[in-house]
Amino acid sequence: MTAVPQVAGQELESPPSDGISNLRFSNHSDHLLVSSWDKSVRLYDASANLLRGEFMHGGPVLDCCFHDDSSGFSASADNTVRRLVFNYGREDILGRHDAPVRCIEYSYATGQVITGSWDKTLKCWDPRGANGPDRSLVGTYTQPERVYSLSLVGNRLVVATAGRHVNVYDLRNMSQPEQRRESSLKYQTRCVRCYPNGTGYALSSVEGRVAMEFFDVSEAGQAKKYAFKCHRKSEAGRDIVYPVNAIAFHPIYGTFATGGCDGYVNVWDGNNKKRLYQYSKYPTSVAALSFSRDGRLLAVASSYTYEEGDKPHEPDGIFVRSVNEVEVKPKPKAYPNPTT
Amino acid sequence: MYNHHNDPPSHMETTCGSLLSELQKIWDEVGEPDVERDTMLLELEQECLEAYRRKVDQANRCRAQMRQAVADSEAELAYLCAALGERPVHIRKFEQSTASLKKELELITPQLDEMRKRKNERRRQFVEILDQIHNISKELCRSTEDNLFTMAIDESDLSLKQLEELQRQSVTLQKEKGDRLKQVLDHLNTLESLCLVLGTDFKHTVSEIHPTLDGSSSTKNISVDTIERLAAAICSLKEVKIQRMQRLQDLATTMVELWCLMDTPIQEQQKFQNVTQNIGASEDEISEPNILSLEFINFAEAEVLRLQQIKSSKIKEVLLKKKLDLEELCRTAHMVAKAHAQDYSVEAVECGALDPSYLLEQIELQISKVKEEAFSRTDILEKIEKWLAACEEECWLEEYNRDDNRYNAGRGTHLILKRAEKARALVNKIPAMVETLTAKARTWEKERGVEFSYDGVRLLSMLEQYSVLKQEKEQERQRQRDQKRLQGLLIAEQEALFGSKPSPTKSGKKVSRPSMGGSYNNRFSLGGAMLQIANAEKIGHSSSILKKSNRVKQQTFQNQSLSSAKRNLDATGLAGKQHSFNSSNTQEIKSAPLRKPLSPVSSALLSNVNIQNGIRTEHEPLKRTPPNSKTPEATPTKEISVVDEEISTPRTMPIPMPPTPSTVSVAMQTAMTPATPCFPLGEDIEFSFEESRFGFVLPKTNLKPLD
Repeated sequence: MTAVPQVAGQELESPPSDGISNLRFSNHSDHLLVSSWDKSVRLYDASANLLRGEFMHGGPVLDCCFHDDSSGFSASADNTVRRLVFNYGREDILGRHDAPVRCIEYSYATGQVITGSWDKTLKCWDPRGANGPDRSLVGTYTQPERVYSLSLVGNRLVVATAGRHVNVYDLRNMSQPEQRRESSLKYQTRCVRCYPNGTGYALSSVEGRVAMEFFDVSEAGQAKKYAFKCHRKSEAGRDIVYPVNAIAFHPIYGTFATGGCDGYVNVWDGNNKKRLYQYSKYPTSVAALSFSRDGRLLAVASSYTYEEGDKPHEPDGIFVRSVNEVEVKPKPKAYPNPTT
Repeated sequence: MYNHHNDPPSHMETTCGSLLSELQKIWDEVGEPDVERDTMLLELEQECLEAYRRKVDQANRCRAQMRQAVADSEAELAYLCAALGERPVHIRKFEQSTASLKKELELITPQLDEMRKRKNERRRQFVEILDQIHNISKELCRSTEDNLFTMAIDESDLSLKQLEELQRQSVTLQKEKGDRLKQVLDHLNTLESLCLVLGTDFKHTVSEIHPTLDGSSSTKNISVDTIERLAAAICSLKEVKIQRMQRLQDLATTMVELWCLMDTPIQEQQKFQNVTQNIGASEDEISEPNILSLEFINFAEAEVLRLQQIKSSKIKEVLLKKKLDLEELCRTAHMVAKAHAQDYSVEAVECGALDPSYLLEQIELQISKVKEEAFSRTDILEKIEKWLAACEEECWLEEYNRDDNRYNAGRGTHLILKRAEKARALVNKIPAMVETLTAKARTWEKERGVEFSYDGVRLLSMLEQYSVLKQEKEQERQRQRDQKRLQGLLIAEQEALFGSKPSPTKSGKKVSRPSMGGSYNNRFSLGGAMLQIANAEKIGHSSSILKKSNRVKQQTFQNQSLSSAKRNLDATGLAGKQHSFNSSNTQEIKSAPLRKPLSPVSSALLSNVNIQNGIRTEHEPLKRTPPNSKTPEATPTKEISVVDEEISTPRTMPIPMPPTPSTVSVAMQTAMTPATPCFPLGEDIEFSFEESRFGFVLPKTNLKPLD
């Protein structure tokens, strides 16, 4: 963005004072919504490097998402789900879970807010409903374990929980999962994100690995799935493996970026099974990633994720870098792969 | 009246008679009657008588006074004589004499004056001497009360004898004072020398005892009390001196010992000459100033401490050196210093748990023992080296044999060919080598009664393991040959069905690498065996097109591969021990050797891995065990049997990606998870980083899995 592009991108001013749990670009502008362990949700104008607003909560905020450009939702560890109206600095409580709310998504298809919590349930909310949890709550759906990550594409909802369970729902029929799966990775799920084309999802684990899965349960469909290793460091013949905290798909090219506790952001071409680019190392773990609506900006939350407990760490920061097309555009394969 | 004054009265008579006749004539002429005349004459007569009487009385009084004065003087004289103790020589000398009173008085007055003067003189002397006595007494701090009687001068006794008495008294007192003073000075001298030696402030010490003693005032207090206190001070200082002297001598002894021990150079010793020179001195002999002062002792102490530290560090050095020697010996002899690992730690020495010299002795003993043992092992060790070298060659040869391009002529190929030739010859000798080694080791063990171990592993078991492995390899080869044959058969069948012949075992060629682990350095590696499983399965999969006809055989393959996987699990366990896991969730995982770059996720492999995983970590929650039980419900397709599903998935072989320049894009490392040990995050329940950071704990009731 600036005349002299910095290696890591432009760092936003007045970042949260504690760990960044998630950040998301708006679908309408370059506004960036950031939730943090410092109990705040902040709204930045990423292109102007401006802090537009701040909402304080009763506990750490574990996730946030946009509703439209003027309002959003947050999931807090004080068990509440809130709606935030940016223009008026107003916030209402949509409802509560029985345990901290880990993740939140807004479905444009159904106009509902979907939250996943450590109380082993998924809840759907109607934000248009009058204030009061009894009115806005649409449904509660029990999950096999604590919900760790959610992702939406179209009418599909993917829920990843502890115990490596993955449930795939159809938002039009939430009574039971469309598919019950087990993660093909052997370790705890960190993040799940659906392909923008709606054919499947990528799932990352704490053990430096990402699985590429497909909704199509036919034999041919399942044959395409694979997993690959990433965010590892080879040192003296040993691999040091880092958790993969974040996955973000490019809205246009369908390639995706992963961020790990090694502080690196890698860009991958899932179809061609290639790594496209590796950005220079960030000061500490990459906790969250988000491409802007046109894919020209990538927001990177460099924030220690407490994978090694409470220890001294680099300050938390949000870097917004402009994305070069070369870095994210898929490259045609040198040889056609007969498997696909 | 006239009788008394012969001449004058006559003279007076004349005058009186002439006066009378004159009066007669006057009267005659006047014609005074006779009566008048008579009265006048009587009056005249009476007046004269009165005048006489007055004069006589006056004279009489004067005489009485004079007599009184003489008597007084005489009395005083007598008193003075008595007081001065002199004999009243002239008293009453004039008693009988007829000398007039005036003369008598004149005679006595000068005598009296003289006596008075002498008395005053004597009195002065008394006062002087009494003052003296008083002063001395005061100095001696005698209670002056008992001398008080002398203080008031006895006016009645001022005799010389008394004076002499007093003088004698004064002299005795003076002598006593002198004695006292001498004593005090003696004490002060002693004290001063003590203070000098001990380095304490003499003046301060003394002024504490009595402020007059510090030499600033001219007189010193010499009372008994002061002397006693001085003596006490001397006594205590002496005690201190003796204590310090013993301390110093102890230090000096230690110092000299340390010097001897460490060959300290003379120049360094010289600095502490004054410490050591008094080693044998008695208390009186130590008189050098400050030699026993606290600073000096501290100084010596510090030096001793320093020397001791040097000594302990030197001992540590020697110990460490010996330890290193021992370890080196063990290493060269490929022995494990387990038994010798008796605690030679420096820490033990430091905390005094072990006597360092004893430790040194022990370590020497160990070294000699190890040397002896090493000598007895040399023969066998040589043979082992040869055998290991041969094994390495064998390994290399295997690798080489797998290389399909080995006969392609290129630079240096002739050398490799030569090496292969040599290696083949060497490999042929291995069985004989193993046999002799076994025999030798047996006899050695029999002789010694201990196991012959090589780097901690029993040689015999190594040899056994080797033979077992070799046997396995042989079997593997056999099986491979069978498989090849079977594959040929399948291809032929396929040809009959589809009319085309797929390229024969394209993947098999590359993967079939039954490694023997010839070098025992990686005797725990399981790469070969792992690949073998993969191979077996791949063949199984490729053949699954005709699964109906070959179902039975297929299953035997599966079983075989699974069993071989299990067999290798023990090895995996060992290999797993070599891994170290961070307490955190980042892991270090040994990358499995020879992984194919792009192989799709195969559920067969997955199950394989999960089986291994299940065996590795029994404490994992049940729901994480193989997915076989779940896959049917998860996949709504109508695949029913587990075996079917396993076979069906990875039908196609992945094509290796051509290497792309890493600067632009890098191929993903897509490979199935090797048998990496699982790490549960809690005791039983896993937690995400966020949960642990938040301190989120599951309520007890939620512990049961909700399904």
